[in-house]
Amino acid sequence: MLARYIVRRVLASIPTLFGVTLVSYFLIWVTAGDIVPGLEINPNIKPEDIVRIRHNLGLDQPFWIQYLNWLGLPNLAAQLHLIGGEWPKGLLQGDFGRSLIDGSPVIVHILDRLPNTLELTTTAILLGILLAIPLGVTGALRRGSKLDHALTGLSVAGVAVPSFWLALMLILLFSVQFKQWHLPWLPSGGAYSSYQGGDLFDRLLHLIMPALVLAFGYLAIWSRFTRSSMLEVLSQDYVRTARAKGMNERRVVYLHALRNAVIPLVTLVGLELPGLVSGGAVIEIVFGWPGIGRFALDRAFGHDYTAVMGIVTFAAILVIAGNLLADILYAILDPRIRYT
Amino acid sequence: MIDPAAAGVALPRTEFEGVAARPAQSYWSESWGRLRGNRVGVGAGALVLVMVAIAVAAPLLATYVIHHNPYSIDLSATFSAPGREHWLGTDEDGRDTLTRLIYGAQVTLTVAFLAVAVSLLVGGTVGLVAGFYGGWIDNLLMRFVDVLLSIPAIYLLILLTILQPKIGPIVLSTADPRTLAVIIAIVGWGGLSRLVRGEVLSVKNRDFMLATRSLGASNLRLISRHLLPNVLAVMIVSASLNVGGVILTEAVLDFIGLGIQPPNPSWGNMLSNSQTYFYHSIWSVSLPGTLIFITVLSMNIFGNALRDAFDPRLK
Repeated sequence: MLARYIVRRVLASIPTLFGVTLVSYFLIWVTAGDIVPGLEINPNIKPEDIVRIRHNLGLDQPFWIQYLNWLGLPNLAAQLHLIGGEWPKGLLQGDFGRSLIDGSPVIVHILDRLPNTLELTTTAILLGILLAIPLGVTGALRRGSKLDHALTGLSVAGVAVPSFWLALMLILLFSVQFKQWHLPWLPSGGAYSSYQGGDLFDRLLHLIMPALVLAFGYLAIWSRFTRSSMLEVLSQDYVRTARAKGMNERRVVYLHALRNAVIPLVTLVGLELPGLVSGGAVIEIVFGWPGIGRFALDRAFGHDYTAVMGIVTFAAILVIAGNLLADILYAILDPRIRYT
Repeated sequence: MIDPAAAGVALPRTEFEGVAARPAQSYWSESWGRLRGNRVGVGAGALVLVMVAIAVAAPLLATYVIHHNPYSIDLSATFSAPGREHWLGTDEDGRDTLTRLIYGAQVTLTVAFLAVAVSLLVGGTVGLVAGFYGGWIDNLLMRFVDVLLSIPAIYLLILLTILQPKIGPIVLSTADPRTLAVIIAIVGWGGLSRLVRGEVLSVKNRDFMLATRSLGASNLRLISRHLLPNVLAVMIVSASLNVGGVILTEAVLDFIGLGIQPPNPSWGNMLSNSQTYFYHSIWSVSLPGTLIFITVLSMNIFGNALRDAFDPRLK
């Protein structure tokens, strides 16, 4: 039953996958697909050379042929001996295109930076969960107290504060002011010190601020959610039963209530799985974190369209994979969910 | 039916007899009443209105009240602290921060409301059409929305802002607030269309729709006169909750240098160089961010108040 569901779910995401590639290829094709105009105004290039360049780049082909070549479908078909001839490798063979700037394969750059991005986002999500649950539980247990109001205010503010500005303010405080006050200060950017750095402690030091800023955004939503979920569970009959039979409050709250209260939180955290690749992009940019987001912006300023297209496609594929994973996880975790 | 009076039987008085009937109220006036009762929500809404008024009156305020021009450079007074001459200080070129902030409000609010309006139009139409017609139209549109929502917004925005498509001689540059708004809307209408579609699905099979259809109403009339009013509340609430998000998105794009370009002031691009100027002035770093924060916060609170007013069950 579960296996069937997983297979169906995987198959259902294939059209979306093709849709994503089609959209990103179309965007580039329609706006920057023909790089030859830049050559045509160059008086040193002969017209027949331009024709040759266009032909070599495949720009004289119709859109759908170019698109299929980019995907690598003809190459796949040729490999399977369905059609003959030489065809370029494409997306299906893991080739996300070449950079317009230096001709290097985009996928190499992406895989180079992916670990840094994942390091930042997973730390932030873990931090978010670890902080959100105690804060939410405290708010629920002391409902209506000053502390509860403060926590609610914090989470309302957390959604409204621009994350990049919060990052700037933290840099101002912990990097600039702390240094002026001769306190231990935090590095303001990068993932490690370029001089004599790179050990675990150095990396952790660099990770603190970006991870905290990113976690704050998650925290704002998740702590509020934990609070209301906890309040709901605490009013259930089995909690009253547990209290009535004389169980101490600690056990009631942490053993019985909390366990059930965090189940909905799993769903919410699952929604962030796709954000593992893209959620930290802005923070990466502010902190100069050498991840995919920073890379995308650098290449955007260099008008490296093919690289940005590769990143967009890659990120979208990971989002689809993340959604898939989250759905399958729910199906395994919560047997009450029955899919048809 | 026997007339009780004629039959000479006294009916027992019901519980509600003699109680003044509550005057009939329309859904909208009832919601308005609830909204007015929410003091915090009304306050937040009023604050947003004040911002809008200041933004609209920015040129007048700059000329007659503040006496500064947002572009005039004064290199003898860079990074001055708030004072009599410059109420909120100056930036790295000695430009008056307050003047730039109120001109920035113009940009930010234009982008925010325009983007939300466009995504309301596109997302609303797609949601209505998909939900109403169903079948392959619904399938096609919703699969497209799936695709759109699969591409991380920030990367799609980066891609769209650097492409600068040309339509004839017009280059759509994101340095223009209107283009920026449209691009943000293009990326952001997906969620709204799903919401509207869901709402349409729950409304379209009710009896009044069948009754209207059997009276001979056309599809267009059914959608515009009967479905739309029923999903309008959801659309308004979702739109007002989206304004804050759009302001944040726009600020990010301006900040990283892909949106409104200097010297035109916007709250986001006023922060672009702030990392360089930390040591000179904390005012020019903290003020634009604070304004973004206050505006988004008010808009979110107002949006929540609207949601509570339209649908008290959700409170």
